[in-house]
This record gives sequence, structure tokens and C-alpha cells, in this order.
Amino acid sequence: MDRRDFLRTAGMSIAGSAMLSSLQESVFASPAPPHVAWVENGEPAQLLAAALKEFGGMQKFISRGDVVVVKPNMGWDRAPQYAANTNPDLVAALVRECLNAGAKTVKVFDRTCNNPLRCYANSQVEASAHDAGADVSHIRETRFVTKSVNGEIIKEWPIYRDYLEADKTINVPIAKHHSLCRVTLGLKNLMGVMGGNRGDIHNSFTQKIVDIDRAILPSLTIVDAYRILTANGPVGGNLAHVKTTRSLIMSPCTLSADYTALNLFGLSPDDVDVVQEAMKRGLQKYDLRSLNVKKVRLA
Amino acid sequence: MIAKVRRVVQVLFLLFFLFLFLIARYPYTGNVEADLFLRFSPLIPLFDFLQHFSISSIFWPGFLILALTPFLGRFFCGWICPLGTTIDAASKVLGSPSNRTSQRWEKLRYLKFAILTGTVILALFSVNVWGYLDPLSIFNRGLTVVLYPFATLLIDKTLLTAAQIPFLEDAAYFLHDPFKAFIMPETQAHHQGLFWILLFFGLILGLEKVSRRFWCRNLCPAGAWLGILSQFRMFERLVGEACPVCNKCQTECKMNAIPGGDVHHTNKVECIDCFNCGAVCPPKVKAITYRWRWKPYHTPVDYSRRQLIQTSAASVAALGLLNLGLTNRESGDRQVRPPGALPEDRFADKCIRCLECVRICKSNGACLQPDHIHSRFEELWLPVAVMREGYCEYNCNLCGQVCPTDAILPLSLAEKQRTPMGLAYFDKNICIPFAQNTDCIVCEEHCPTPDKAIKFEVREVVTRDGAKKHVKYPYVIKELCIGCGICETKCPLQGQAGIYVTTMNQKRAGATQVSEPASPYG
Repeated sequence: MDRRDFLRTAGMSIAGSAMLSSLQESVFASPAPPHVAWVENGEPAQLLAAALKEFGGMQKFISRGDVVVVKPNMGWDRAPQYAANTNPDLVAALVRECLNAGAKTVKVFDRTCNNPLRCYANSQVEASAHDAGADVSHIRETRFVTKSVNGEIIKEWPIYRDYLEADKTINVPIAKHHSLCRVTLGLKNLMGVMGGNRGDIHNSFTQKIVDIDRAILPSLTIVDAYRILTANGPVGGNLAHVKTTRSLIMSPCTLSADYTALNLFGLSPDDVDVVQEAMKRGLQKYDLRSLNVKKVRLA
Repeated sequence: MIAKVRRVVQVLFLLFFLFLFLIARYPYTGNVEADLFLRFSPLIPLFDFLQHFSISSIFWPGFLILALTPFLGRFFCGWICPLGTTIDAASKVLGSPSNRTSQRWEKLRYLKFAILTGTVILALFSVNVWGYLDPLSIFNRGLTVVLYPFATLLIDKTLLTAAQIPFLEDAAYFLHDPFKAFIMPETQAHHQGLFWILLFFGLILGLEKVSRRFWCRNLCPAGAWLGILSQFRMFERLVGEACPVCNKCQTECKMNAIPGGDVHHTNKVECIDCFNCGAVCPPKVKAITYRWRWKPYHTPVDYSRRQLIQTSAASVAALGLLNLGLTNRESGDRQVRPPGALPEDRFADKCIRCLECVRICKSNGACLQPDHIHSRFEELWLPVAVMREGYCEYNCNLCGQVCPTDAILPLSLAEKQRTPMGLAYFDKNICIPFAQNTDCIVCEEHCPTPDKAIKFEVREVVTRDGAKKHVKYPYVIKELCIGCGICETKCPLQGQAGIYVTTMNQKRAGATQVSEPASPYG
């Protein structure tokens, strides 16, 4: 090998290794997205942006031209500070993210417990989501279709058509205390797309809710924990029970999101029958014992 | 010309009434008072005075009508009253017979004075009958219970049914959504006692088949009261020399107020200023003019002394009979009245059964309904909270704000949230946890008080297969319960609920109360 060859080979190998390393960076350097992103210490829109960044942006969930349903909790005639409904700023930011990612329409609705006009207005979700460009509509009783779910107890249940027909669905519960099921999170929030006499679901609740949830799991679950309700839930009404935690938990797997969100209340999965039942019935996308939770604390 | 103006004004007042009716819903600002028109009733000032022997300024619209009537006559009936306008429309649709055919009913005219006398006597003894017969109250009742729900049925259901047809879906929703947003946001209303209110309202309109303005001529106590004030009215109809006595004005008179044999005179007690007489007077003749006279002639009221004595006696007899019935304490425990309602006797005295509270409630919790007779006649059509079908919305205090007579006092929201309408009781025989040892507590979930009035204790039970499980058994804290009834509405049982609200612990406005500790939640 003469000097020229040496230089050529050396140069090529250096260039090659440089290229290879850059190639390696683009292919292997970005780590696999986490199962759950848990962001703390920010305003709702910042929390959402930070969580989405962990998953590589909203484009990872939404394709151009998708019809997206965003299902917040606005079931109660309560103002946002009472933490009975999903944070309106979070819903607005989420609607914008969806539209920016190319969604054709973003539909926002909830089957409320109190008077729907009052709930939509007082939760402030209607106004803020509408301003962000969402199609906010009231539930039309004629638009429920009977979905076969083949559960242990429930065999079929009416589900809102817009939810079933959407390309992507994003479930945005607020983390709240709930006497019957200890806490209400993503699995419980899906009741807002269920028709019929929902009171009937409340005995043998855990089995029934899992029966239906199995068939209608959303594309993405975002637990709003900007404010959480620690007692007197799910209606609340006393500001002393509201804890401002300025957090958000996001996962493509509803059960993983709920599982992680139990930490907000200092609960273990053993305390919450719904989570137990859902685990038993295999609603998790990931192994919950080795869940990859990416915790981010904003400055 | 003036008859045409009158027709336009009639339609405008009817539209104004409908407008006020439509704005009586959530969200209600109160910038325009939805009950304003109802207070135009000329009967309200009279009966309010009989009740309190004082004059209340909130009834200024009614006083305004009363003040103008001695000069103008029954212009209220001809120009303003929306029931009168509807009756005119019904007359057109049904085709009323001419005054000649209906002449034989003229002798019934005295009835309205008899009714007025009767209602006055009963009112002096604190039995409210006049409210049922107040024309504005009748009209509002008809709107609330019959016409508006029927309009919802026709429009809403038609469009929603059309929306079920795939290729019509978008078009139907396109029409439906703005309609829902601006005109009729409520879901289909269903009211109890529909049949009787429909019959009452339908009968008044149906009587147009007997004669024009049958109700106004013969039955309406407001018409009678205004007629009494119009005996010397100063705005008169004058018939000139040119009159050939063609009798056209006589046959066209809505009220048959032009005597058959004497077209030169007007019965001032009956005339409602419709000006049809001038309009039908042949153009070549034009003998009829209207003008002021400072020395008006007098028309006597068509009500003899003998009739007065008879009706007074009959009223006293009725009074006795109405009070003879047994008032069984058991029958009253579910008659929950709206928050802010006066104590029951005063409430029944003041309420005119216009159902404006029922109307505005439909846009919220939808619990208020017209009541039935349980043990006392006066209970009929008072607002009653039927909690199984609807509940009192925790953040709503609108019923008191639209009550025209303050039978329901306007409470501030904070006050209303502390005012118990009643108290919830569990029926443990059917309540799911007690009857089946299974969790449910939907009632507890919905309970809206800042410290839940429904709590539960967890007890261990043994299941059929011998395993142990924990079940939540709910109970009510009397001091926290405001009787809003959402527990009863949302109870998942079929039919009768496992929890229900009774009048126990109710706090009526203006009643003497044992002082209670202030709410820790302000």
C-alpha cells in the first residue's frame, strides 16, 4: 500500500464511518417512543406540546384528512376551576394540534349528566374548542347505533355513531375522585359516547364498563391533570377538593394511561377495581409491569 | 284604515308575547323581563289589591291598562290580548256564524260578570279561581303545555326523522341546527295534565263555532272587569245622518256590541275597539266616525241585581263545598314546589297558573310540571316538581325570576342552593344495594352539593357462592340535602325510583324559620 492508497482508504473509511454514524443517528439514535408520557409543571398547552414531542408529534397519531373525535369530559354544569370537566384550554390546544397535523375535521361532544346546554357553556369547552376550529355539537339521540360488544354481561350497547365512524379518536378525561370506582379516568370517560340508560352500567360496574370499553378503545388517551378533584367527585363543587397538579399523562393505550394516572392520587392498581378488571381482561397494549413511562418536568 | 292598523298591532302584540315566551329559557339574562306581558293582565292589580289591600308597583302594566280603559274602553281585548287574537284567528279558520244566527246567545253575556263576581268573592275568602280564567294566563298555559311542545314535535321530529334517510341527512341537519340553536333549544317537552289544559284551551277556541269571540263576549272575567270600567268611555262611535241603516256594522261586530234595533248606539261595555264597523260601512255612505266626547253617554252593565245576588249566593255555596273535602296529610308529601315558593296557602293565592316557571324549567332540569288535584281543588296546575322525570338544576334559579306575581320569589343563586325544596328518602325495598347487595350509588355520584348529601357506608356481605365482598350502602344527610331530586331522576331502576324527594324539610320563602347555621360554602 503506498501513501496515496493509504490516504484514500483512510479518507474513505473516515468519511464512511462519518456517514455511517450519521446514518445510525437517523435510524437508531431516536429512541423508541415511550408507552406513556407524563409531563409536569406547565400550562395545559405546554404540557400537551411536551407530551406530543415524546411521541414524535401529533402526525404520529393523525394522518392528513382524518376525521378526528376529541372526547373531553364536560358532563357537569361546573366552571373549569371546580375540576369536574376537562380543562378547556387543553381541549382547545388539542384541537389546534389535530388541525395542524392535517385533520379534516375535529368533532367535540359529550353526553352530559346535567343539562347539556348548561354543561357545554359552563365548562367553557364549547367556546374554546369552537374558537380553536372544532365542530362542537350536542348529542343527537337519533345518532346512536347499537354496537355488538360481546362482553361477559353486556352483549350490545348503543354507541355514538360519530365516535364509531371517526378515523381517529382522542379520549381526554380529567382525573377525578369517584365514589363508585375510586377514580374516574380514561376508561370511565368513554361513557360519554354511550347511549341508553347509563345508570344500568353502575351495578356490576367494573365488568360492564370493561365489556363496552374493550370494543371502543380510542387511538390516544390524554389524562388532564392540570387540576384534579380529590374528593366529592365526580361532580365536585368545593374548591377545597381541587388540587392544582399542572400535569398531563398521554398514552396510545387507555389502560396504561389510567394505570400511570393512579399515581396522581397515590393509589395502587389494587385499589381500583376497574383497572384490575381491565388488566384481567387484557385491555393493555403494553406490559404494565414494565411500562416505559417517560417523565418530563418542564422548567 | 284603523281596523287594518288594529290588525297589525294585534299581530305585533302576539309576536311580542311569543318573543317573551321564547326568551324565557336558559340562558336568561333578564334584560327583557320574560314575564312582562303577563303583568299586563287587568285582573292582577284587582285581585292583588283584594288580597293585600295595597298596591304593588310591579303590576304597573296592568294599572296602565286600567287607567286607559275609562277613556278608550276595552281596547285591551281588541288590540292587545294574545288570547283574543288567537280567538280571532280561530274564528277565521272555523267560520263563526253571523251575529244574527248567534243572537240567541246574547243572554249569556251576564255570565262573565257572574264569573267575575264569583272569583272576587272566592278571592276574598282566599280561594284563587281567577288565575285559571285570566286570559294571559290561559294563553301562556296553552303555549307552554300544548302549542310549543306540539311545534317541537312537528318541526323537530320531522327534521330528525328526515335525517334518518341517508341522502336527506345533511339537508335535514342543516335546517335543524340553526332552528335548535336559536328558536327551540329544548328537547321535546312532555307535560302531565296535557289533556285538561288542551281541552280548556281548545274549548275556548272551539266556541268560535257558536259565535265570534264567544269567550270574550260571555265568559272572560278580564273582559267583564274592563267592561265595567268602560261604561262611560269617552272615545265614542258616532253615526251620521247619512246612515241608511244597512245593518252591516251590526252583523260585522265581533262583540255584537251594536244593538240590533239601534245601530246609532254602541254597547260600551261590550265594544272592544276593533273598528270593524267603520271599515264595513259602505264607501259611498261612510256614516261612521269616531271621536272624543267629554260628556259621554252611559251604557249599563248587563248584570241585574237579581243575577248578582244569585251568583254571590252560588259563590258562597261553592266556597263551602270546596272546603268540605278531606285534606289528607298523606297526599301532600310529594307536592314539592319550586325553590322560593311562598308557603302553600299564600302560594296558591298568588299563583295565576300561567306555568311560566314550568316553561323556563324545561330548558334546565325540567322537573316542574302542572300539578293535579290531590285533595284540594286549588292544587290544580300549580307548579310541582316531578323529580322522576326531571330534577332541579343546581346552578339554576330561573323559575323565581320569571314569576309574574312573585308567588315564587326570585332567589339569588347562592340562596337557592341553600333552600331545601324537600328531602330525599331511600326506598330500601327496591334500592339496588339494599335489595340485591350490589353496588350502584348513581344517586351519590350525581348529588351536586359541595359536600354530598348522599353518603355511603361500606359493608361486607357474603355472596351466593360464599365469597365475601364489599358493598356500598347509601344514606341521606338531612342537613345537606336540598331536595333537588337529581338522585330520583337518575336512579337506574325501571319505574319507581329507589330514592324519592318528599316535602319534608322544605323551606318556603317568607315563612318563619328556625334559624339554621350558615352554609360553610357561602
